[in-house]
Amino acid sequence: LYWGSGSVPCWRPMICLEEKGLSGYNSKLVSFEKKEHKSDEIMTLNPRGQVPTFKHGDVVVNESMAICLYLENTFKNQGTKLLPDDPAQLGLVLQRMIETQNIMEKNNALVYYKYLTKREEWDEGFIAEKKKALAEELPLWEKYLAQYGEGSNIAGQDFTMADVCLVPALAFLVRMQLPLKERFPLLASYYERVKERPSVKAAWPPHWKDTTGPDHLKDVF
Amino acid sequence: MASDITLYWGSGSPFAMRAMMSLEEKGLSGYTSKQITFDKNEHKSDEYLKLNPRGQVPTFKHGDVIVNESLAICLYLERTFKGQGTTLIPDEAGQQALVLQRAVESDNIQSKAFVNMVYYFFTTKAEDRDEALLEEKAKAVREELQIWEGYLAKQGDGSYIAGKDFTLADITLFPFLATLVRMGLRLEGRFPHLASYHEKLKERPSVKASWPPHWKGTTGPGWLNVV
Repeated sequence: LYWGSGSVPCWRPMICLEEKGLSGYNSKLVSFEKKEHKSDEIMTLNPRGQVPTFKHGDVVVNESMAICLYLENTFKNQGTKLLPDDPAQLGLVLQRMIETQNIMEKNNALVYYKYLTKREEWDEGFIAEKKKALAEELPLWEKYLAQYGEGSNIAGQDFTMADVCLVPALAFLVRMQLPLKERFPLLASYYERVKERPSVKAAWPPHWKDTTGPDHLKDVF
Repeated sequence: MASDITLYWGSGSPFAMRAMMSLEEKGLSGYTSKQITFDKNEHKSDEYLKLNPRGQVPTFKHGDVIVNESLAICLYLERTFKGQGTTLIPDEAGQQALVLQRAVESDNIQSKAFVNMVYYFFTTKAEDRDEALLEEKAKAVREELQIWEGYLAKQGDGSYIAGKDFTLADITLFPFLATLVRMGLRLEGRFPHLASYHEKLKERPSVKASWPPHWKGTTGPGWLNVV
């Protein structure tokens, strides 16, 4: 797996690999600053020059959720069962899994803008609009957790593909200093708990370990 | 069973079309079809929001199971009705990998063509549209379409997007393509493979059964002529 530190799409397949008992994979960290994601090695496997880029023997799979689905199908009988058999459970896990894209779309709209635009050129109207969208997204997830109560995962008691997809997104928001604890107690305790899960720890962005992130989401509310 | 299934959909939503195509391909044509009208704000009614708090289409029900998000619906149908209808996700590793990748990859079309471009037309009055900005957006769409043209070219004439067989990857791609063409995108000449792919799939039974009713006999806005 070719991956970049701090990239949410990379983090998901990394958690997946750990959960499926495939920790011994070849881990190829690339530097975005040095444009290593545009290297010949990666471009041959992924003409979009993006990470994650994934290889299993001769099989290449790009796109974070595609890799996760491939892993669950191919290694169905080992490690954690990430997609349940029960139809009701399955339906919910698949929905929440895809639904996490809403978080990233709203996060990216705001964070990328702040990251790419000079502070003195920030359009306050645009930022207010994007803050509002993200502020309205999180209560949905707090409500989803409330359905199962304290100590549960996002789609029920078990850790599933829905959590694989949610955890990196949530962690990214927290990294950007979104004040989770103050407003969303269930999301906050979920976050504190899943942070300690071995697969999540193993995939934690290396450069986040002893540093604080930029405060792009500090004032979302 | 099809009779246990209800799909709430909106005419012209490519996401709804994906769900409808999947149902048809899995031999579940007899599902209960509930068309939602955006003009009457039916997607924001209390009753609807109970099923889908985001107030979006499609919304899918199978007995007591509710699934929203078009790709989630497609994946659910393929897993739950695996033994019937068209195989939408092949078992062979290499094939499956390609199908899954292309299926998720279609998100690029969503962001560049729909979110970045079509949405601009919806939300900006004609007199306020900036030509230079439009050309920038059009360029991004062209480049993205070129990628998909390349994928089809590589598979060879008459093929589907991920090989010889129709799969989930076609279900996620075709509705986007059809909607862009509806909005004035011209494929002939510059995107010959996409053009013939579009012509071929238009005739597929599952596509015909899922064709937006209000498109029949009318032309759409020529917004994407500029692409």
